[in-house]
Amino acid sequence: MKLVGKHVDKTRAGYAKLRPEDDEDMWHLYNIIQNGDLLRAPAIRRVQNVSSTGTVDSQRVRTNLTIRVSRVEFSAAASSGNTNEASAGQQPTSFAALHISGRVAAENPHVKMNAFHTLDIEVGRDVRIEKDEWDSIALATVEESCVPGRGAEVGAIVCGEGTAAFCLLSQHMTVVRQRIDVSIPRKMSSTSSAHEKGLSRFYEAVYTTFLRVIPYASTTLRAIVIASPGWVRDSVMDYIFKEATRTGNKALLAVRNKFIKIHVNSPHVHSLTEVLKSPEVASQLKETKFAREGIMLDKFFKMLGSDEMRAWYGPDHVRLAADRGAVGTLLISDELFRASDPRERKKYVALVEGVQRKGGEVLQFSSMHESGQQLNQLTGIAAILTFPLDIEVVEMEERESKEQVISEAEEQIDSSTESMGT
Amino acid sequence: MSGASTPVRRPLGAEKPDQQLLDFVGLNLQVEESQIVEEPPRVSLAREKLLEEVTRALQIGVDNGKKGVNLVVIGHVDAGKSTLMGRMLYELGKVEEKERLANERASGKMGKSSFSWAWQMDGTAEERQRGVTMDIALNSFSTPHRLVTILDAPGHRDFIPNMISGASQADCALLVVDASTGEFEAGFDRGGQTREHLVLVRSLGVSQVVVAVNKLDVVGWDRSRYKEIVDALKPFLLQTGFQNSKIKFAPVAAMVGVNLIDRDGPDGAELRKWYQGPTLIALLDRLEPPARDITSPFRFPISNVFKGSGSATGVTGRVCSGAVQTGEKLRIVPGDEYGIIKMISYDGDNIPWAAAGQTVTLYMTAVDPIHLNVGSILCSPTSVVPLATVFTATIIVFDITMPITAGTSVELFHHSQDTPAYVSKLLSTVDRSTGKVKKSPRVLTKGLSADVQITLRSAGGTGKAYSVPLETFKTNKEMGRVLIRRGGETIAAGRWHFLVLLPWPLSHGGKRDDACLT
Repeated sequence: MKLVGKHVDKTRAGYAKLRPEDDEDMWHLYNIIQNGDLLRAPAIRRVQNVSSTGTVDSQRVRTNLTIRVSRVEFSAAASSGNTNEASAGQQPTSFAALHISGRVAAENPHVKMNAFHTLDIEVGRDVRIEKDEWDSIALATVEESCVPGRGAEVGAIVCGEGTAAFCLLSQHMTVVRQRIDVSIPRKMSSTSSAHEKGLSRFYEAVYTTFLRVIPYASTTLRAIVIASPGWVRDSVMDYIFKEATRTGNKALLAVRNKFIKIHVNSPHVHSLTEVLKSPEVASQLKETKFAREGIMLDKFFKMLGSDEMRAWYGPDHVRLAADRGAVGTLLISDELFRASDPRERKKYVALVEGVQRKGGEVLQFSSMHESGQQLNQLTGIAAILTFPLDIEVVEMEERESKEQVISEAEEQIDSSTESMGT
Repeated sequence: MSGASTPVRRPLGAEKPDQQLLDFVGLNLQVEESQIVEEPPRVSLAREKLLEEVTRALQIGVDNGKKGVNLVVIGHVDAGKSTLMGRMLYELGKVEEKERLANERASGKMGKSSFSWAWQMDGTAEERQRGVTMDIALNSFSTPHRLVTILDAPGHRDFIPNMISGASQADCALLVVDASTGEFEAGFDRGGQTREHLVLVRSLGVSQVVVAVNKLDVVGWDRSRYKEIVDALKPFLLQTGFQNSKIKFAPVAAMVGVNLIDRDGPDGAELRKWYQGPTLIALLDRLEPPARDITSPFRFPISNVFKGSGSATGVTGRVCSGAVQTGEKLRIVPGDEYGIIKMISYDGDNIPWAAAGQTVTLYMTAVDPIHLNVGSILCSPTSVVPLATVFTATIIVFDITMPITAGTSVELFHHSQDTPAYVSKLLSTVDRSTGKVKKSPRVLTKGLSADVQITLRSAGGTGKAYSVPLETFKTNKEMGRVLIRRGGETIAAGRWHFLVLLPWPLSHGGKRDDACLT
């Protein structure tokens, strides 16, 4: 993403003008734009004019529209895109779609005030976002999204016998580009040729899909992971290179060193977390955000197993821990910041800022990653504490302090009535 | 009255085709011959008659009074499961000498002559090359009183899904352990498959187990070694939930074939000195088939689909409950398709009907094979298995290192189906030793019994089902059992007891980006 212009004043009100460049930028915009913001972007609108004689003429007008956002919709692999063979091996075109609906907030000759419109955000077209308050999270997202050269990507094929899922992992997103399912007859004592035939049909499907959906020749693609239980990954890789040699696919043969074979325990997409944890991939992708997320979440679960008092989750519990300055690492999902209620968002922003002030580490998980999905299931917020705290004790303390406040208030009322009486 | 009106209509109706025919003849065109439609097979017996016959057959046994049992062969990788089975089949005359010689020669050529017997079971090129069983091998043999269907399971941990698929079709288990020094311990230690397999088969409802202590020839038929292994296994078996009376042990040596059928040869001389107990085959002959549920509606989970001869598609599996005969129409779940049984094959022979407990191949016709998938369930059209996306189950948590929390990604195993899911809610836990109930716990740790809600993950853009056919444990025991695994480790076993039949978007709490991932 490119930052075209930004101005945020003392009251934190202001605007930012951004130019999205790829799918991931769409995801960032999805996280930045909130209900109530003013958004200005180019749009195509059908305009109808009724002339004085009563004839209606309608035309499409390209115009810039400003809308007051009331709904934001994102889908990672919405458009079919150009998946033709010609573009295979190159940088993929944009697949994500971001639709923002709302009422028009600034009139122009074509569109009346308060008319509804849905803006489709497009790659390469500037978007101006105006907010009444830019909080630290939103500003950090803008900053992060505009760092150049962060396009490290990993292509992954998670496969089992007869099934394969082709995924593209980038800093903030995991997109399953394609799944294939080939039914393979299981081995039988008499006729084993059916099984073998099924297998070769499967490898063929994997190879053609691979060529189509994984941009293997792209320079930003750092690694191509083939993960599976058993030995399917060996066979798949052998087949890919056998076919590449046979068809003389030089581009593919040249990137042989990008391929990594990883053992995982299940052929489902969620074993991508295992892929990211494996030493081979972790060393390649050290310091990338998604690898770190996976490692921290794993650490959290391990902590939950070994020392339950140092691993807390759930907004209320984490807040209590943060109040006591106990949070060492805060794991928070971006889903929480998308809360439709701005007060809710403010609460989480305050929590993050509080933890950061006390020197704690904050990891904002992307819910487009497997790890983020898992965190979302776990209420979206979790914390590894620096010292053990017993939830029940803390809750009791809270209750007591609340009771104390109430009783103090009562006393005050009592004393005030007494003083009134005298 | 009616006679007045009908004569007018009848000639009209009768005349029309004739006229058409004449026109065609006049045009010198050939009338298209009507396509030969294969006559669908007919149901030969009335429902009540069928049940009567099945009940009678179950009591006296089929085929000379032999009763059928399904036996899953389990154990750690390289314990010698396939070798034991291959040798067994040979000893029982199920393998021809020619075939044995061919295997021996071919395996010797690859430098794997020790796998010669296993090749009888491991048919695929990859299995033979790697010397590891990768999928269930189905075979059968008969003992004096039993017709044993064997399911030779893979021992390698990566193929546990296949092993589960086989174990869910079994009534009894044959555990093979390697007696050679260090090998038994490797298989029995934490992380070894001996333990996991036993826990798995027990949770899938297998209650009888025969333990074959294999490779005793390697340790020189050491009696103390045999005793040591028996003493180590027995407490664990009891703890896993097998009854003492249903655990049997036998010392064997599969490679040389001692104590499988007999121990008369020179190789068995050492064993004869201290062992007078029954041979392995004698123990298998005493396996008691469990009670078959033939009155419940028909249920048939598919474990294999292949192209049969002609237009029929073969599906293999075990009948969970009910009975079925050729010509019957069956519903395929999930999906909205029906198929007709053209043929039922059991142990290579065609049979007129199949009943609960039998592992059979049904040849289905009048259905596109695309609708028949491994993991689907065939059921009677009058009583269809419900599909569920969200359900609650009572689970027992096994020995796990990382606790289960809400949101844990798991794989769900139900018969031959392997579905990604997550634990969406922890409802309550019961401490098994104290009986203390705790509502909405934060985590589940090992040894707990708990009520949890499980939600299936969507399969994304593909047409794969995001709901699985399930029945509660109360309705149908065989259909209500489930295994939960995570990261290659079986973490819990459970029973459904409540299915929430929700349309999918609701069950996901309306989350926006669920569909993009997974």
